[in-house]
Amino acid sequence: MRVPILKQGSYLIASIQDALSDEDLAQLQQELVARVGQARTRGVIIDVTALDVMDSFACRTLRDLAHTITLRGAETVIVGIQPDVAFALVRLGLSLSGAQTALDLEDGLALLDQHLQRGNTRGR
Amino acid sequence: MADPRQPRTTLALMREMGLTEEVVARRKAFLEFGAEDVERLRGLHDLAAQYADGVIEDFYSHLLSFEETQKFFTDPAILARVKAAQKQYFLELTQGQYDAPYVEDRLRIGVAHERINLPIELYLGAYNFYLRTVMLRLVEGYKNNPEQSTATLGSLLKLVFLDMGLATETYLFRRERTIREQQEAIREISTPVLPLRERLLLLPIIGAIDPPRAQQITTQLLQSIRAHRAKVVVMDITGVPTVDSAIANHLIQTVQAARLMGATVIVSGLSPEVAHALVRIGVDLSAVNTVGTLQDGIEAAEQLLGYIVSKAGDTGTSHNPAGS
Repeated sequence: MRVPILKQGSYLIASIQDALSDEDLAQLQQELVARVGQARTRGVIIDVTALDVMDSFACRTLRDLAHTITLRGAETVIVGIQPDVAFALVRLGLSLSGAQTALDLEDGLALLDQHLQRGNTRGR
Repeated sequence: MADPRQPRTTLALMREMGLTEEVVARRKAFLEFGAEDVERLRGLHDLAAQYADGVIEDFYSHLLSFEETQKFFTDPAILARVKAAQKQYFLELTQGQYDAPYVEDRLRIGVAHERINLPIELYLGAYNFYLRTVMLRLVEGYKNNPEQSTATLGSLLKLVFLDMGLATETYLFRRERTIREQQEAIREISTPVLPLRERLLLLPIIGAIDPPRAQQITTQLLQSIRAHRAKVVVMDITGVPTVDSAIANHLIQTVQAARLMGATVIVSGLSPEVAHALVRIGVDLSAVNTVGTLQDGIEAAEQLLGYIVSKAGDTGTSHNPAGS
């Protein structure tokens, strides 16, 4: 299943709607990283609200994705991790270190706004 | 879910207690209750029918002569009803049918006794008297055939012990279920999640934490973060007397899981004992934001959320950036 990637201002939003196969994840990774460069993107939000389970591969892919996007000059926020998923990840010793997390899309956008503002003022 | 206090059918109870046909068969096998016992008991039926009223009368005059048992029969209508039920039971004993409906009936008796809170020693004591009364009649009825008398008595004893086992088990099962339900209720009351300000939750934990409770705290905390869209949670453990390494690790994992959901957890109220213990057992709490008291915790949380709290008289003088 393909994941739709939506553009909203200088942000990209990828909303995962269903359990993804490993290939789907790899495809999402490639597509997102490519799109970041095309659209002068400053931030990327990956919404995983619909996922009830997340395995180690998905976790690692998301983490790598966040690192890659940082290298391409944008920030990543992973939003909507379900309570059970969050605890299971911690239990399994998996971490999303490097990626920021937020409760939902709204908080994710607010977080990006906040960071970019701070970045701008610091930069100038 | 239906109200657990509501009377369920005995059939459901039977299933809940795991009394399948095989289980009952195993019990009968253990008691060595076999076809010849059924035969002997059936042979007793005519004699039983003949003596039934006498036995019941003796039995209840015994019960009524004791204060402990008397109080259960204050209403004559009840007395008449129980006598009728008892007579039916008496005749059932020699019916020769000891299958699932029979077991179900025994459970019903156990349930009835538990409901009126009949102490178990009175149940057993009354049964003892009952059995002796029956025994006298039996020996008298078979006085020309002492061998048959002994054998039949043996069969009767097997059946009676099967019955008593089933009835007392129902008793205990129902009590245990009550205890389980109460524990569940206490557990639910004991970990409230309180919204303190917008996007700020307070989770006061009081009393010892055992693994099931730790699990429950985790679930409740993470789900509340989602439900209340919390950004900061203050977990106050002032009321927790001790924390072992397993519980401490569980709490740390909960804090990390909350962070994955975008919330910050501040742990407040670590008592000196708990702090000492945690350092001694070598739990690394560096990943957790800890503060001394609940007050500190709430202040830290307000700061994170950008609240500025000041006394009414002070507004506009110092902290308020909108003023001046």
